[in-house]
Amino acid sequence: MSVYLEGVLALMGVNILMALSVYAMLTTDQLSLGNAGFMAIGAYTSAYLTVKSGVPLLPAVLVGALASGLMGLLISIPVLRLKGIYLVMATLGFGEIVRTFFMNFEPTGGAYGFRGPSGATLPLIYGWVLAAIFFFWLLTRSRLGRSLDAVRDDPEVASTVGLHVTLLKIGSFGLGAFIAGVAGALYAHYMFYIESNNFNFLVSAMAILFVILGGMETFWGAVVGAIIFSILPEVLRFMKDWRLSLYGAVLVSMMIFRPSGILTRQIIRDLGEWFEGIFRTARAKDA
Amino acid sequence: MFFQQLINGLMVGSTYSLIAMGYTLVLGVLQMLNIAHGDVFMFGAFLGLTFALLGIPLYWAILLAMIGAGIISILVERFCFRPLRKAHFLGPLLSTIAFGILLQNVATQIWGSEPSRYPQTTEIAQFQLGPILISSIHLIILATSLFLMVAIDQLVKRTRMGRAMRATSENQTNASLLGVDIFWVFTFTFFASGALAGVAGVLTALVYLQITPFIGIRQGLIGMVAMVIGGLGNLRGAMIGGILIGVMEVMNDAYLTAGYRDMIVFGLFFLFLIFKPEGLFGATNRES
Repeated sequence: MSVYLEGVLALMGVNILMALSVYAMLTTDQLSLGNAGFMAIGAYTSAYLTVKSGVPLLPAVLVGALASGLMGLLISIPVLRLKGIYLVMATLGFGEIVRTFFMNFEPTGGAYGFRGPSGATLPLIYGWVLAAIFFFWLLTRSRLGRSLDAVRDDPEVASTVGLHVTLLKIGSFGLGAFIAGVAGALYAHYMFYIESNNFNFLVSAMAILFVILGGMETFWGAVVGAIIFSILPEVLRFMKDWRLSLYGAVLVSMMIFRPSGILTRQIIRDLGEWFEGIFRTARAKDA
Repeated sequence: MFFQQLINGLMVGSTYSLIAMGYTLVLGVLQMLNIAHGDVFMFGAFLGLTFALLGIPLYWAILLAMIGAGIISILVERFCFRPLRKAHFLGPLLSTIAFGILLQNVATQIWGSEPSRYPQTTEIAQFQLGPILISSIHLIILATSLFLMVAIDQLVKRTRMGRAMRATSENQTNASLLGVDIFWVFTFTFFASGALAGVAGVLTALVYLQITPFIGIRQGLIGMVAMVIGGLGNLRGAMIGGILIGVMEVMNDAYLTAGYRDMIVFGLFFLFLIFKPEGLFGATNRES
């Protein structure tokens, strides 16, 4: 596999995880424009462990993700009662605080960036991606998944039927932060070098765009959105220097023409029926 | 020393105020965030640069940059807000982020990603006022900002258009039933918002003397912070919020570590949103 293709696939894997981290928070209707901050915590924590303390990669990724998840739990408590643009701005502020913190934090290189983390391979990244997808697949089938849906659709009704809305919200925020932490840790150990600007607010914004344009009704939308919009800039390479303009224009037009995203529940249902139809005719032919 | 820093802070802060007022106009009328605002600001700075390089006198360059940035802002409304009027508030917000990416790329193609130096257009005169050194650039920035602050404030408070804007802000359906052409109000609001960002762009460039296509990211965020600290949707709050941040920044750089400046600004932003979301002077936004 060429180095170029491998690079694209690795970043796509990281993007899928980032999209899923936004999706996890959205399951309880919480929108975060600061997930790059959680990504940075995972990246810097794990990189410090492997480079400076000689911890093996896998536990380092786990500790990085746990640190990020813990921060997510802490942040979600004050942020919980904010809604709409207030929540968006508060999470954006959080992301910027983390970014400027690492820009000044000398033990991890400060403004010079942090060199040295290595060892993340494609199989490792996609192992995590598959694990995350499997987790969400289980979640949508579980009682917990239904509870999260209920909180998203109507928190008041959810609380009258006995669900602990606050706890579910904090939990889903922490989960999203954990996944973003994994994404950051893998990113750091794939890139060999990180700097605070790798985690700016555009990274958080793209993670949300993956989910919205992929379709926010199911986690498959997040996955599909991340895949399509990670490949798109590569497909647009023929535009040379103008490709980011075209990328921006495509995103703006997607918003106008398909605001509910590419993959909706209806489409998944239709696809399912279509497959069933093919199955049925195949069986009818056999009989 | 302290008074000198105060003057510098006022100068930087007044450009933040102009950005924050632009945010506030849009937020006040539509209850939505325009993230591309920072990039409209950046475009204004580059338009000013282009006109200045053509030898156009500074005040005309500022005026032309205002109009240019205003037109770009109208485009933002046409592409990111108008088609998504019925959508979730998230739609326009993300769409403006994408539009910002587009603007940055277009600016990079036209002017290059390397810092562009601003030509010296006016003779810089310096005045010694006791211990304070004031240059003509200081005076131009302060006078222009002050004039625009008063003008926009009076426009919203006293004119027919201002009344239409306030009516639209309160309730779009009612306003349009009462004969307000709300689409014209949106267009005008975005033009005014963009024009303010454009002026702020040229004035900021006069302070720092060089610009890149990426200056809008930070300045846009700082403008948002100023708006929140002043109170969401509150025009006078945005003015004072901007000046407060400017003074705070300059004081921080003079007496504390410069590197921690943005951490303090965003930390304050975060704390305000959580403990005092209505800002210092009260929000007009109903969500708070």
